[in-house]
Parts: sequence; structure tokens; C-alpha cells
Amino acid sequence: MINLAARDILHGWGKFALTGLGLGLLIGVTLTMAGVYRGMVDDARALLGNSGADLWVVQQDTQGPYAEASSLKDDAVHGLRGMPGVARAANVTYFTMQVRRELAGSHEAANDVRAMVVGIEPGAPGEPGYLVAGRQITRGHYEAVADVRTGFALGERIQIRRHHYIVVGLTQRMVSSGGDPMVFVPLKDAQEAQFLKDNDAIENDRARLAANPAFNRAGTPGLLAAVQALQSSSRNVNAVLVQLQPGWSAEEVAEPIRRWKHLEVYSRAGMEEILVAKLIATSARQIGMFLAILAVVSAAIVAFIIYTMTMGKIREIAVLKLIGTRNRTIAAMILQQALGLGLIGFLVGKISATVWAPIFPKFVLLLTQDAVTGLIATLLICALASTLAIRAALKVDPGEAIG
Amino acid sequence: MTMNNNSTASRKSGIGGILIEGLRKVYGHGETAVEALKHVNMQVSPGEVVGLVGPSGSGKSTLLKCLGAIIEPTSGRMTLGDEVIYDNRWLTTDLRALRRDRIGFVFQAPYLIPFLDVTDNVALLPMLASVPNAQARARALELLGALDVAHRAKAQPSQLSGGEQQRVSIARALANKPPVILADEPTAPLDSERALAVMRILNQMAQQSQTAIIVVTHDEKIIPTFKRIYHIRDGQTVEEAGAGFSLEPRLG
Amino acid sequence: MKTNPLWTRRIGLALLAFALLAAMAFVLTSTGPLAPTRITVIKVATARLQPSIFGIGAVEAQRSTLIGPTQAGRVLSVMVDVGELVQAGQLLAEMDPVDLDQRLVALNASIARAYSGEVSARALLADATARQRLAAVNAKRNQALADQKLIGAATMEARQQEKLSADAAVQAAQANLRGQGQERARLVAEQQALAKQRANVQLYASAPGVVVAREAEPGSTVVAGQAVLRLVDPTSLWVKVRVDQGRSAGLAIGLPAQIVLRSRPAAPVLGRVARVELLADSVTEERIAEVAFDTMPLDVAIGELAEVTLALPQTPEALLLPNAAVQHWQGVTGVWRLRNGRPEFAAVLLGARSLDGQVQALEGLEAGDTVVVYSAKALSPGARVSVVNALVKAPANGTAQ
Repeated sequence: MINLAARDILHGWGKFALTGLGLGLLIGVTLTMAGVYRGMVDDARALLGNSGADLWVVQQDTQGPYAEASSLKDDAVHGLRGMPGVARAANVTYFTMQVRRELAGSHEAANDVRAMVVGIEPGAPGEPGYLVAGRQITRGHYEAVADVRTGFALGERIQIRRHHYIVVGLTQRMVSSGGDPMVFVPLKDAQEAQFLKDNDAIENDRARLAANPAFNRAGTPGLLAAVQALQSSSRNVNAVLVQLQPGWSAEEVAEPIRRWKHLEVYSRAGMEEILVAKLIATSARQIGMFLAILAVVSAAIVAFIIYTMTMGKIREIAVLKLIGTRNRTIAAMILQQALGLGLIGFLVGKISATVWAPIFPKFVLLLTQDAVTGLIATLLICALASTLAIRAALKVDPGEAIG
Repeated sequence: MTMNNNSTASRKSGIGGILIEGLRKVYGHGETAVEALKHVNMQVSPGEVVGLVGPSGSGKSTLLKCLGAIIEPTSGRMTLGDEVIYDNRWLTTDLRALRRDRIGFVFQAPYLIPFLDVTDNVALLPMLASVPNAQARARALELLGALDVAHRAKAQPSQLSGGEQQRVSIARALANKPPVILADEPTAPLDSERALAVMRILNQMAQQSQTAIIVVTHDEKIIPTFKRIYHIRDGQTVEEAGAGFSLEPRLG
Repeated sequence: MKTNPLWTRRIGLALLAFALLAAMAFVLTSTGPLAPTRITVIKVATARLQPSIFGIGAVEAQRSTLIGPTQAGRVLSVMVDVGELVQAGQLLAEMDPVDLDQRLVALNASIARAYSGEVSARALLADATARQRLAAVNAKRNQALADQKLIGAATMEARQQEKLSADAAVQAAQANLRGQGQERARLVAEQQALAKQRANVQLYASAPGVVVAREAEPGSTVVAGQAVLRLVDPTSLWVKVRVDQGRSAGLAIGLPAQIVLRSRPAAPVLGRVARVELLADSVTEERIAEVAFDTMPLDVAIGELAEVTLALPQTPEALLLPNAAVQHWQGVTGVWRLRNGRPEFAAVLLGARSLDGQVQALEGLEAGDTVVVYSAKALSPGARVSVVNALVKAPANGTAQ
């Protein structure tokens, strides 16, 4: 017995392939949407994982440093280093801002890249764990390590606030929870960039201070200068990253810090909850809803395609039934075609999703389990959709062939 | 054994052929009941080609559908070959197998399966009857040869001319060596030359394979070629002798 | 016959299906969890390291002077302006003496009066001395008479008493004279003090230099300690450099320095560490050093930012690693070493570092070990890896460090 489904496909392969392609692109979009959601969650996890920290110490009563603004004095780290169970501790600052790249031969700002500027102490927690090119920061000022997503190349000069930095290293997959690529600079430079204002604002502040008689006392000549210097210095950081000694649990070390240092401490699990459950929850729901709608629409379109394909063969089906083809054979033909369409669609969809995922501005994570789920779902939907067509086909009256 | 209200009582169905006795078909029930067939008697011997002629609404299609085991008559008796297939109820459970193995269909239009090539269109029927593919194709080629379309064996139906397609559909009808072939207006769209050619082929094949052929038609061009014609009107058949024009000159 | 198109169609479709499956296979193996992580590696070798210390600072003047009054007052006149060169002892500005001159005149008058007082006291003394002589003579004469019983005792006592009174009067007059003299001396001293104060009102340059700031104009009131002018010795400019404490090992006087001034980043200037301060900044965790210019550059401003690189002596030969290879895993510092094509973590003791990213590996590795430098993902022991030449395409005209 020949396979009717195969023959039909071979005969109208162009239409079949095109339909498979169209369906595939639809499936690809669905897979990509799932990948966008996974990418968001992975961004958050990558942020936490790549920081290399076991504990995040932030301002009391805040959920910082990623979800909320948090500000600590930068000498708090000394006290933390001495606490039991702490192997390493280091200050970090996080600030999302525009970073300018300079075009060679011109002093005009070519374009701005939105990046999260991370202030780190080289060799301490917060430094990128692994690089894809270049080297880590060695100088205490004016060097930067950037993520490849910024588009910066090794040796490029970039401008953050009033200083220029040379890109000495490149990293991959170092992004903020919002998907902005990271640029690592020495802590002092980052403190200055975050907390220091531009020239006009500084001038303004100086003038304001000078006009204030409380600070501008004739009898104490150095007072005004001292206060102005105070205004333009910054001793704040956003968080302290702590690495634990082996054998210590996060809570063991966190509890004394909370109690005696009056700071808030989060473990990896706590931060993940904040980021995933709170920060990206709304976006996740948004995408989830869209994904559901997309899946339903895809299912409807698949059903429609298969139904139309079958209806186009009504005459042949009537003839087949008349000349004695079993219902089973006809149903198998329709089902096989539907599954074949689904399989081709899935292959096209998975390949196209893989091809265009890197082009997306934010990270798209295509997990194998999602692909497997997608395959099963596609085949199920195709099978279910074919039942509609099969029912219609079986209802055809063989007498239709006879006028 | 035979019960008909016609004069040709001596004709027996014997081995092969088809015999219809007192077939009755009522659609619906109660107030809206319609008696499409009242009391139909027909007999066709193997190798015979008879015409079934009647105006529309006369019950022609209903009779054809009963003969083709597509619908169930209300009462009566149908004998196919030497097997009674219907006696007030179907005596065989698998009507599909019945159609597949014992009844051949030729339609108004060829109705070839467009995604199968010519050989497979014909071989499909034996394959459905669980004949191995090679054997089925061999039989198909044989039939195609007999119908003078063997040179188109590998072509797609869309590549054939109308006449060639019709011949292939006839080959298909013969593929499982059914005892009876039902032809529904096979010559309606054709001109007289082609119509006569089709009739010639039908007669030829009927003789060769000893198949009984019933041709439902109202085509004036071919009615004269029948030796026997059944007229049907208001659900009743009347047998009469046909003109029996010879199709001889082309035979042989 | 018509078989050919059918067969070409079949073959074409087969190729298409094959291509689709091949693409799928490619997708599965090159992305997702089945794909190996791309890495680049390096073979460690021994070499010498050229470490350096990096710091930023600003140009400062070694010696700078604040010229201002020691008392609150009003500025009378300022003789020099910003940018002028002044000599030691040059009069730069003058404060308003207010009543100092008048007080001097008053004092002079007081001195004159004291002088007159002295003269009068001397005269009084002469007078008292004369009376004393007379009284003495009288007393002696009366004594002689009393001895001859020519006068009565009362008379003699009266004469004795006159003599005593006259003595006392002389003493008094002497004391008065001394007092007037002391008064005069005091007033002279006061006059000298006032003169000094008057001189203080004039502000002189204590050393040669350049005026860098003129902070008070004639007529403005300044308090003691407030600057009217600031002077700087232009030959004494140096760069005050702040170096991270953690990276300041080897900071010493005499280290050669390369100074990149902000105004001319393409033309570094050479210098030498002139002083390393004993007091470091514990708040910013920096040590402070002063770097002198070998040849003073022209057109440099005080306060100009500079980046200074100090060259330390070359280290002896040791295994060197790029610092990108150094990673931390489960609390241990080390590198990923390839064994049988799979990475395993090796703890390494690190030594000196250079500014171009090389670091010494003192313990934990052997020469010729293959070490992972760059990886596309974080590694774990035994992970599947594939070695490539580079993970990121180098820019065509990049100037990598």
C-alpha cells in the first residue's frame, strides 16, 4: 500500500513547503517569545551569578542595589571584612548612564550607549569573573572593561562624565537586570561619576554656598573652601559584595550583620527573589500573556490550515471513499499530513529562532526544554486540528462523486 | 429464482452479473416520506452493457446509489455474481470492501486522484485490497495497455487529455476485476466521436473481462448503441430492447 | 519519457529535507547545552616582569606663601597683580594703618612730656640736694653748738629733724627722677612697638615668586590670617601623586616617573619621585608621593591633573600569566588548566603584577601548562570546551593594550 499522505505532499510540495515555512515562522515567533522571557530571567540570574557574591549588603530597609537605590558609606566594608565567615568583601557602585564613544579623529560624541557603570575594586568581588578579550583593570583610574554588547572594541576611548577611559578588556553576558550591558571601571572613578555633578551644577553649588553666611564667615577663612571640597567629594557606594568562607551558610553570616551593623543583607536566593519575582514580574506576566495568546493563535491558524488543506481535497476524498478506501486510511492520510506539517514547521521555527535570536537587543535564551515542549505542543495541536478536518472528511458522502 | 415483470424471464443471472428484484427505497418517514424507488427489477449478464435511462427526479441516482452500495434500500433483493448482497438488509457488513472488490465506478468526469500517477491511480484499488504493490502495478499496466494508454503510465493525471483520463478511469474501475461496473453519465461532456469511442471501450472491456456494465445516461448519442435499455420513471423500471447499433467497425 | 522531471523533483526534495535536518543538527550542536564552550588558551612561560605603579595627581607648588595681615584691617593698596614676578623684600600691599600714625604722634608727645618731666624731676632733685646740704650743715653746726651748751636741745632736735627731712626729700626727688626716666623708657618702648605695628601694616614678599592670586582689593576688610595675595615659587612645581595603598608596593624616592599632563596627553614628561609622605590618607586608602619634573615644562598650571606611572625595577624570571586567566572559584584564587582537553581548576599563588596585565604565578603551575585565558561562559571542572583562536574579532585598526 502506498502512503497517500506522502504522495499528496510530494505532488503539492511547493504549497506544503510554503505552508510549513509560514507555520514555522509563527512557531519561531512563539519560541522566541518564550526565549525573551527566559532571557529576562537569565539576565537577572547572570547579574547575580557573575557578580561572584554570596551576600549583598545594602542600606537598611532598602531592596537595593538593583531594585532600589541604596547608599552606604564606603568605610562600612572595613567592619564587614572582620566579621566571622566573611572571606572577601568589596565596595561596588552601580549606576545606569549614557557612555559616549569617541570617534578617532573627531571630538564630537559619536553616539551614546546606555550602560550600567559598575565601580569595582580590581581583584575584589564585583570584578568580571571571566573575560573574552583583553585584560582586567590594573590601574586605579581611567581604565574600563566593557561587555561586548556595548559595541566597544579593545583600545577604544570612551567617555563617562568628565573623564576618558580606555577599554582594556571585554566580557560577555555581563548585563544589568534590565538588559543594559555593563562597563566596569575603578571604584573611585565610578563614585565620582555617580555622585559628582557637571561643571555648571558645581559652579552653582559653590555660588550658593558662598552666598550662605553660615559657611562664608569672615572670621574663619578656610571654612568655605572646606565645605565646597566636601560637596564635591563622594564617600558613598551602593552596596558591599561579600564572599563567604567555605563551610559558612549565608544566614549564619548575614544575621550578625543585620543586627549589629544596621545594614540590610540579602543572600543569593533573596536577591533572586527580589529580581525575578519583583523586578521583572510585571514584564514576565506581560510576556506570558502574549505567549499564551500567540499559542492560541498559532493553534487556530494550524487548525485552519489543515482544515482548508483537507477541504481542498473533498472531491478526491469522496472518490476514495466511493471506490472503497477505508475511513481509517483517509484519516491516517490527513493526520500524517498534519503531523508532517507540524514537524516541518517546528524545524523551520527552531532554526529561524536560533538564527535571529542573537540579533535581538536583549538576551534571548532558547532552552532545549522549551524546544521539546514546543515540539510536543506543535504535534499535539496539529493532531487535534486534524481531528476537525478528519471529522469533516469522514462525514463526506461518497455519493457526492455521483452527481 | 428471478422475479420480474418483464418478458425475459428466461434470463438467469447465473455466475457473474447483477440481479435486482423488487428494490424499494423510501426517504424519510411519516408525512414527509418520499418513495424514490417503488419496485425496481433489473438484470444484467456478464459481458453485457445495458443502459439506464430516465429523466431527472426519476430515481436514477437513488438506484445508482443503491446499486453502488452507497445507500441502503428499504426493501428488495440484490444479487451480485452468485452472492446475494442485499435481502431486505445488507447481508455483508463491510460495504466498503464490497464497493472496492465487487463494484467498479466510472464517473461523469474521470476523477483521478491528482497526486498519484496514472499507474498508481489504477493500482490503488488492488493495493487497497491488500494486493502487494508490485503485483498491483503489474495488473494496472496490463489494464492500461488494454485500454491503449500504457504509454502514459508514468504521467500525472493533469498531463493527460480528457479522453486518456477517461480511459484511465475505466482501467481503474476494472482493476479489482469486479463483476459489475456502474457508469454514471460517462459520455456527457464528450462529442459523438469520443462518446462512441468510450462506448466501444466499455463494450470491449465488458467482453474481455465478462463484466456486467450498467450505464446511466441520457446522452442521445449513445443510447442507440445499447442492445437493452432500462427506462426508469417515477421509481419504476421498464425494460426494452435497444437499437443496438453496432460499434463493430472499430472492434478487433 | 516523463520520468526525469519526477526524479529531479524527488532528488530536489530529498536535498531540501536533508538541508533542513542538517540545519537542525547544526542548531542543536552549536547552541544550547550540548554545545561546547569556546575558549582560548595560552602556554605559560617564564619571563621577567616590568611592574609599575600608577597614580593620579595634580600639579602643585612646593612652596607657596599666603601674604596677609596679622590683624583685622582694611586693605589700603595692593601694588602687584596676578602673574607678576616679585623679589624678596618687595612691598606687595599695604593695610590701612587707621590710627596708628596718630597714636605714634601721641606717643611722641608723651615722650616729650616724659622728657620734660625728667628735667623737672632733676631740678627737684637739685633743689632737694641743696636743702639737704644746708640741713646737714645746719645740723652739724647745731651739734657743735649743742656740744658747747650754747643752744637748747629743742633747737638741736629741730635741726636734726630738718636734716632727716632733707635727706628724705633728696631720696624722694631721686626716686621721682628715676621714675620719670622709667616712664620715658616705657614710652619709648611703646613707641617702638607701635612703629613695628606700623611696619606690619606693610606686606612684603618673604621670598621671590610669582603672584598667583589677588584676593583682596583696596578698601576690602580682611581678618587676621586671611590672604591678600598668594605667592608661589614657579621653579618649585611638582606633581602630588596619590597611589592606591594596595598597589603601592615599592614606592620609594628616586623612582623614575612618566608624567602625562592633562593638557598634553600625547607628550609625557619625565620626572623622578622626590618625596614619599609618611602620612597616608586612610579615608581614601591612598599613599601620597611628590614627583618632581626632570625639566620643568612650560605652560603648566597649578591644579592641572596628571597621570603618573612609576617604573619599578624588573623582577627576576618567573612564570607569567595574563591577568584575564586569574579566576576565583569556590573561594580559591587560581586558573583553569587544561588536562586531557578538559579544564580543571588549579590554585595559584600570585606575585607581582605589571600594568599591562601580566602577573607572576609563583606556585601551582609549571612551565608549559596550558591555561584558559578567555572563555565564552563560566567554566566548571570537566566541561566540554573547544579551543579557538580568538573569541572576539580584533578591530582592524585597534590599539590594544
